[in-house]
Amino acid sequence: MVKVDDRNTTVNEARFESLLDTAADGIIVMDERGRMLVFNKICETMFGYSSEEAVGKPVNLIMPPEFSTDHDRYVRNYHRTGEKRIIGIGREVSGMHKDGTVFPLELSVGEAVTPEGRQYIGVLRDLRPRRAVEVRVSQLQAQVVHMTRLSAMDEMGAAMAHELNQPLTALLLYLQAVTRQIKNSHAEGQVPSEKVLGVLDKAVTEAERASHIVQRMRQMVEKRDPERATIDLREVVNEALDLSEFVAQSATVTIRRVYGPNPIWVDADATQIQQIVLNLLRNALEVAKESEERWVKVSIGSDDRSAVVSVTDSGPGFSEEVSRSLFKTFSTTKKSGMGLGLAISRAIAQNHGGDLMADSGGSGQGATFTLVLPVHRAAVDEG
Amino acid sequence: MGYRMYFVVEDDPAVADALESLLEGAGLEVCVFGSAEELMRNGLPKANDTMIVDLGLPGMSGGELVRRLGKVGAAPRVIAISGKSSRTIAREVEGINDIKILRKPPSADWLEAITA
Ligand SMILES: Nc1ncnc2c1ncn2[C@@H]1O[C@H](COP(=O)(O)OP(=O)(O)OP(=O)(O)O)[C@@H](O)[C@H]1O
Ligand SMILES: [Mg+2]
Repeated sequence: MVKVDDRNTTVNEARFESLLDTAADGIIVMDERGRMLVFNKICETMFGYSSEEAVGKPVNLIMPPEFSTDHDRYVRNYHRTGEKRIIGIGREVSGMHKDGTVFPLELSVGEAVTPEGRQYIGVLRDLRPRRAVEVRVSQLQAQVVHMTRLSAMDEMGAAMAHELNQPLTALLLYLQAVTRQIKNSHAEGQVPSEKVLGVLDKAVTEAERASHIVQRMRQMVEKRDPERATIDLREVVNEALDLSEFVAQSATVTIRRVYGPNPIWVDADATQIQQIVLNLLRNALEVAKESEERWVKVSIGSDDRSAVVSVTDSGPGFSEEVSRSLFKTFSTTKKSGMGLGLAISRAIAQNHGGDLMADSGGSGQGATFTLVLPVHRAAVDEG
Repeated sequence: MGYRMYFVVEDDPAVADALESLLEGAGLEVCVFGSAEELMRNGLPKANDTMIVDLGLPGMSGGELVRRLGKVGAAPRVIAISGKSSRTIAREVEGINDIKILRKPPSADWLEAITA
């Protein structure tokens, strides 16, 4: 470490303080135990506490209570595993003003190792002004989404042509080979051999491969306008799980269902949601089957805005490289996979105003896929 | 005249197998590889052999393989196959002379084209 004499430290500290106070963003420095060491001017107006009131207190002071327990867990988990949930990433969190108002914040966190131990520097931005703009922008966005979807279809067309090319090439070559052999046998007055039948079988397989691709792509396009109804997400997911357990009767993988006692209402096309669940489940079962513990966990939950279905498995997770192309059409690491499951699932989720997200897991953790859907509107008003 | 061996370098197993069936059915001697690297490890084709190579191979591309072989003095007759657009193909085989291109999916009899 660099050795600094006291005079220098004081000068630097003064400069540092004034820098903090001219900053346009809220800045908090926190020590390893979660106590605030620095609380700048912007933070004072943002949270309603003076710097004197805040410094020395745990950072939970400015968090809504439900977030504060999570935060303690994150910090502990980070110290133990070094797994970064926020450091160097930045994310949207909730803050709480002294008067109890909870508001959205963008938070990015940096880490510094000092002679006094690890310190965390948080840079905070109140998202409320931005939110107002966002609402106005959302109508415009709807149009843009429509346009990007059209160009995604273009891309898909190209990808599909490429994908269909292989089975079609193989198919035509098998047929050319068979035609020749039959012609030759015919010329020699013989019956076509067993070998010819073998080649024909392969040709049929390739034709099927091509038509399967077309069928699945068609599902994706045909069901563009979902038939919405207000449905209980638990019921819909349950049905899908029952179906899959029924199909895989002799399966050796345990499916754990973690649901609450209350219905979770969403406006969605039940069949399409089941299609997502089945895709996620199929992927999860495939890796869980090869794992030691052999389980898949499906949990359902909700808050007042969104409903969430997550599927976790006992598999190995997936690599950074896989995660980059996870949701792309035709990206697969499997021999017999088409790389369509996740692409289709995400398209459906987004069509429902929701999304599909992935956590790669790794180092002993399986992957988690999370489907988020907006909850039924009336339920929000009643609640 | 006549070429001795037919080397097929194609990563899609079905396409490779189909090509093998077609060539072997005509009594030709065929050797199949799934990648350029695999071919390089297993002995290079000679001047009077024919190499049928997919341009879009994972790892070392087909074009790169042909250039490499040229450099080490192994210059078989080369037929490239590709499913890409003609502009992409032109870019991929730039600087290689004497290369015949077959496009996927086949629109004519490939055995004739290959043995011609
Ligand atoms: N639960 C999981 N654990 C680890 N990797 C996964 C998991 N789910 C998906 N993946 C990775 O994501 C890739 C894409 O999945 P996706 O479902 O889109 O296609 P696929 O399963 O390969 O083919 P299919 O079109 O038949 O579903 C997989 O090939 C796999 O590498
Ligand atoms: Mg899948």
